[in-house]
Amino acid sequence: MAQILTRNVSDPAQRELSTALRSSAYLGLRQALTLPPHEVVAEIEASGLRGRGGAGFPTGRKWSFIHAQAGQPVYLLCNADESEPGTFKDHYLIERDPHLVLEGVAIAAYAIGAHRAYIYMRGEYTGVAETLGRALAEAIEARIIGPNCMNSGYDLSIAIQLGAGAYICGEETGLIQSLEGRRAYPRVRPPFPAVHGFLQEPTVVNNVETLACVARIMAEGAQAFSDLGTGRSTGTKLISVSGAVERPGVYEVEMGYPLMELLEHEAGGIRHGRKLKGVIPGGTSVPILTADEAAPLTIDYESMQGAGTMLGSGGMIVFDEETSMPHALLRIAEFYAHESCGECTPCREGTGWMAWVLRRLLAGEGRPGDLDLLLRVGGNIEGRTICGLGDAAVQPVRSFIHKFRAEFEALLPAAAPREPDWQRHGHGPRTGRFGPPAEEAARSQAVDGPPTAAL
Amino acid sequence: MPIVTIDGRQVEVEQGTSVIQAADRLGVEIPRFCYHPDLRPEGNCRMCLVDVEGFPKPVVACATPVVDGMVVRTPHESPVASKAVNGVLEFLLVNHPLDCPICDQAGECSLQDFYMHPDYGQHQSHVDPVEKVHKRKRVSLGPRIVLDQERCVMCSRCVRFSEEVSGYAELQFVHRGNHVELTAFEDRALEDPYAGNLADVCPVGALTSRDFRFKRRVWHLSHADSVCAGCSTGCNVRIDHFGGRIERVVPRRNPGVNRSWICDEGRLSFRALVAVPRLMYPRQGATELDWSEAVALSHDSLRAASAAQGRPLAALASASATNESLWLFRQYVLAAFPLHRLAFRLEREIAEVSQRQDNLLRRLDKHPNTMGALHLGFDGGEGLDGLLALAESGAIEGLLMLYYPPLVGEESKETRERITRLLHLVPASVVLTTHELPYLTAAKLLLPVATWSEEEGTYTNYQGLTQHADKAVPSRGAVRPAVEVLGDLWHCATAARRQTRPEEIFREIADSVPVFRDLTYASLESRSATAYPPEGRMHYGQEGFAGR
Repeated sequence: MAQILTRNVSDPAQRELSTALRSSAYLGLRQALTLPPHEVVAEIEASGLRGRGGAGFPTGRKWSFIHAQAGQPVYLLCNADESEPGTFKDHYLIERDPHLVLEGVAIAAYAIGAHRAYIYMRGEYTGVAETLGRALAEAIEARIIGPNCMNSGYDLSIAIQLGAGAYICGEETGLIQSLEGRRAYPRVRPPFPAVHGFLQEPTVVNNVETLACVARIMAEGAQAFSDLGTGRSTGTKLISVSGAVERPGVYEVEMGYPLMELLEHEAGGIRHGRKLKGVIPGGTSVPILTADEAAPLTIDYESMQGAGTMLGSGGMIVFDEETSMPHALLRIAEFYAHESCGECTPCREGTGWMAWVLRRLLAGEGRPGDLDLLLRVGGNIEGRTICGLGDAAVQPVRSFIHKFRAEFEALLPAAAPREPDWQRHGHGPRTGRFGPPAEEAARSQAVDGPPTAAL
Repeated sequence: MPIVTIDGRQVEVEQGTSVIQAADRLGVEIPRFCYHPDLRPEGNCRMCLVDVEGFPKPVVACATPVVDGMVVRTPHESPVASKAVNGVLEFLLVNHPLDCPICDQAGECSLQDFYMHPDYGQHQSHVDPVEKVHKRKRVSLGPRIVLDQERCVMCSRCVRFSEEVSGYAELQFVHRGNHVELTAFEDRALEDPYAGNLADVCPVGALTSRDFRFKRRVWHLSHADSVCAGCSTGCNVRIDHFGGRIERVVPRRNPGVNRSWICDEGRLSFRALVAVPRLMYPRQGATELDWSEAVALSHDSLRAASAAQGRPLAALASASATNESLWLFRQYVLAAFPLHRLAFRLEREIAEVSQRQDNLLRRLDKHPNTMGALHLGFDGGEGLDGLLALAESGAIEGLLMLYYPPLVGEESKETRERITRLLHLVPASVVLTTHELPYLTAAKLLLPVATWSEEEGTYTNYQGLTQHADKAVPSRGAVRPAVEVLGDLWHCATAARRQTRPEEIFREIADSVPVFRDLTYASLESRSATAYPPEGRMHYGQEGFAGR
């Protein structure tokens, strides 16, 4: 099993600089500092590293978008907000090998010409923040980070900032707003952070795991990294497995590793000897896979995409045959309704509406057409929001209903459609000039009619 | 410059123009809540989604800059955009209380207007009223504004206004998801002296004006375009009135003067008109006169007091008078009194005319037409103090005064006393004024004239910009516009009749005074502010869209 990032995690002393240095910590930084920044960027591009936060955007490309004018400050922000349900790999990495993360931050900052970097940590990660803070203090003490890093003439200061506990702070522009001391409302793009980011200056936001990979790539070479993996998915991926498995935890796998292998071997198989029902491969924001769909898949960007889902953050949530999918979906939908930042209309109102409909379905008060309503509401959110979290909220709803429709339909009342009171009293479909457009009328008929058959 | 096609029509716009601005220029309606021409675009309401050729999904018109050759289709033309906008509007109504029947915004509410539009709304409701999220209603935000959190569409116009424009930054959102609420910190009263604008920028009934709410349904109001007479800035306003009564004053957008704003003092200045009883009939002491008698008596007494003894007539017109009144005032004095002292200054108008009271709109000079008086040849050096000195030395015996009390604040005690003393010292005094003011009772003759909002005319603001104010409401009693009274006096002096329609007088001014050359009422109106409400709020059936 390829171990790049988790090589040293089992040694508690790895948090201390002296131990870390013995296991070649900061070798990559030393290497990077001997190169001009653009060669560092080229090296990362050559490695094929893609962002590990969820979107999988090529890291070197992202860095190459920074074009600062002389004297203009540039910022590197490390996204350690890690709020995606089912994801806990960054926590694990910082907790056990903080110097690896700091090294990655320093290399990335050097590559984009930043002299100030912030590590934005999830508000709940107070203990981890302490660990990282101690490591940072040691690195500064040892003159690895600070003015004139490792006698290279390059100055860098790193600050750790704790958030105040909101999912939206993990969205890169939301993170920037939060770091600026504002309400974490995502910004409309363009302009992208590479042009107007933190304090309106060019900014790169990278995930913790991405930066840890950067450190390893600089220490061991792009070739060694890109030799691992498959196709356009190079290196390894940290997968945080949770749910109905015997051994939940963080596992590092080479890209291209069979999904079932991970579940059966590393994670110890499905709990209590039950059967697999479904698995969310990359955090709740990506579509769920049924057991059949998951069986042939490998853990890499292309394979997941081919199956209509995404590798995402690697937050793998496993459901066994005993799981009620509607209940699981309600749990997820309530998360999004609670965490929608409320800035733009579709996500603010739509997530709450979807959660409400699911809640009434599960309370036995479902109405015919509720499933179509859920899908329609989702369709009205998707692609209409400022940030990607609107889309994220829709993926689970749509995929759960499509793939486990029978379970949802079982919740619908068998009796004839009950017309809600408020529609009986004068608010029914209108006619004439103020009547609904034809398309709308047709749709309301569909909604009021008998539930359509499972797809 | 980039050329963009919107719904099949082309327009050339400056680099950096957003799609919504280009559409506004064409007069193509794009629905919007959060976009406001005088606020930074935020893109949060998602109502202005349009379909742009080559883009995979609809984009917001307010935050998408135009590029050359862009082809945009709005909800009117594009089913994709229409579906998107329809979905957004449905979301906005999911938790909306639908209390239009008791909502003060009804009739000028974007949400209501858009819903009635077949390209955006009119969908079947799928939400049971009991399922709605409830929030606080009738939250007091101080003396100007009342907040209804349930009606809020979270467009953040008010938040941006208070951060970017007035700088008081007293509003913010709290909570998340569909529980987001607009609030002031601890519900404290807003201290912003421009808070009244919050009710204007609010596209729905969330922020309403405490002064106006429940006074009148907006569709009953008549409108008159005017200029605020509260200070020398000359903010463009619209007077909304009903049954001869002013119900509210709202800003009209004029980027060169007041953008879309007005101060609270100016907004409420119309209250000053009714705070003191009006002078209703011409009066000599306690005796009421009819107009022909009063005019003849005025002219004769002034003639007797000045010409006969070879003494100059003191003529004092306040800089709150319109250019037309000032012009006739001066014409009359020149025609009838070869010896005269023509003044307009009561205090430090000239020194203060451009001085700011704050960083936004208010200026220290509370007279709307100081620059006009200067342009029309009134002597800036001589003022109330100069005339008073002359009167004390016995050099003048006749005084003609055209006096308007200030609409914002009140005349200083010192000025009031000096006016009283002047009236006491001069044996023959004729005062044209609007209200029963204690410091004017010493005048021998009092002639009632129309106030601001009761007469048409022009004012020249601190920038030297001449702006037209329409008549909104009729005068009561025997009150007549000053121009008519001055026309009659002129007739007494010259035996000739003259035109007293403001438009004709202004033509005369334009012919005679170089500063006003080539200006006409028609040209003033065409360059005046865009229709209120500012772009971004539309009234079907009442006014055309912003493109008009």
